[in-house]
Amino acid sequence: MMRRALVIFVLVAVAIPLMLAMAELPRHGSPDAPPQTHVAPYYLEHGPEEAGAENIVTAVILNYRGLDTQGEVTVIFTAMAAVVAVLVAGGAGVPADRAAAPATTPVSLIVRFIVRVLAPFIVLFSVYVILNGHVTPGGGFQGGTILGALLIALTLIMSESDARALLPQRPERLLQAAAPLTFFAVGMIGLLLTGDYLAYPHSGPTIWIATLMLTVVEIGIGIGGAMVVATIFRTMGADR
Amino acid sequence: MIAALWHNLDYAASVILFCIGLYAVITKENLIKKFMGLNIMETAVFAFIVAIGVVDGGEAPIMGPGVEPPFINPLPQALILTGIVVALSTTALALSLIIRIWRQCGTIEANELREVE
Repeated sequence: MMRRALVIFVLVAVAIPLMLAMAELPRHGSPDAPPQTHVAPYYLEHGPEEAGAENIVTAVILNYRGLDTQGEVTVIFTAMAAVVAVLVAGGAGVPADRAAAPATTPVSLIVRFIVRVLAPFIVLFSVYVILNGHVTPGGGFQGGTILGALLIALTLIMSESDARALLPQRPERLLQAAAPLTFFAVGMIGLLLTGDYLAYPHSGPTIWIATLMLTVVEIGIGIGGAMVVATIFRTMGADR
Repeated sequence: MIAALWHNLDYAASVILFCIGLYAVITKENLIKKFMGLNIMETAVFAFIVAIGVVDGGEAPIMGPGVEPPFINPLPQALILTGIVVALSTTALALSLIIRIWRQCGTIEANELREVE
């Protein structure tokens, strides 16, 4: 009882100041609120011709704030490395009774069939989302997640060894690191072309080079993201 | 204050979502449930920041022929895309640590873990 009162007190003590602050904020959706009046209009006005992407969100994450995104893909790659380190490297301490726990339940024929039939279309959709990230909603992360979800579904319906055989074994590590590596490569190309790391050619007749570089980064993020998601899932699901 | 909150209903909703997550973090003993609570808190923050970028009658910030202002602020969306990926990374790492705890101790209930020591 005492404990419950304490919990309610903590929640109220958190909620009331937050609610007061929310009431003080500029009205929701008002066009002249501070977030709408500083840097965003510049991006909206100059994004398409300056950054080489009609989707301004893509222009912001890959061009204006590309360095942030490089840090972000490094974070997700590091997370995957940490998951593998935690689960695989120190896997010796499994108690005998739990190591013999039943393996995953067999998946029904229907699920198996549906996943097999849908797989090519899912691949097609993810490629579409990745490659069109600069003109439509989507991009590397979104398309990569779709591809990763497909890899996870395939891992579920197949045995571990069959699922592994789907992907070439040797470049697997390289593919997992695809996103940071692509970023680094494109950053170096930017260094050669413009003199600054991860800088893209500015507006003018060479804007298609910037679009091409953005697309290459999207592909790298897509492949790397899919591999990272699938690897995390596989590492966690492995019966060891 | 109620009238002001009514205009900022989206923000108030994210505060409520945040408190639901905080409740789960405080009260649940199961580590996975605790972490789900933390994820709900993260989602509340994401929803709040995306809601900041909304402009009345705004369209998605994708340029091209036939679109005209006002546009929704692209900046919060781009920042939250980064945030979501980082949240995914922390979730993956936390879940793997929980699996490791389960292997080592045979339980993921925080109160039982305190006794294991």
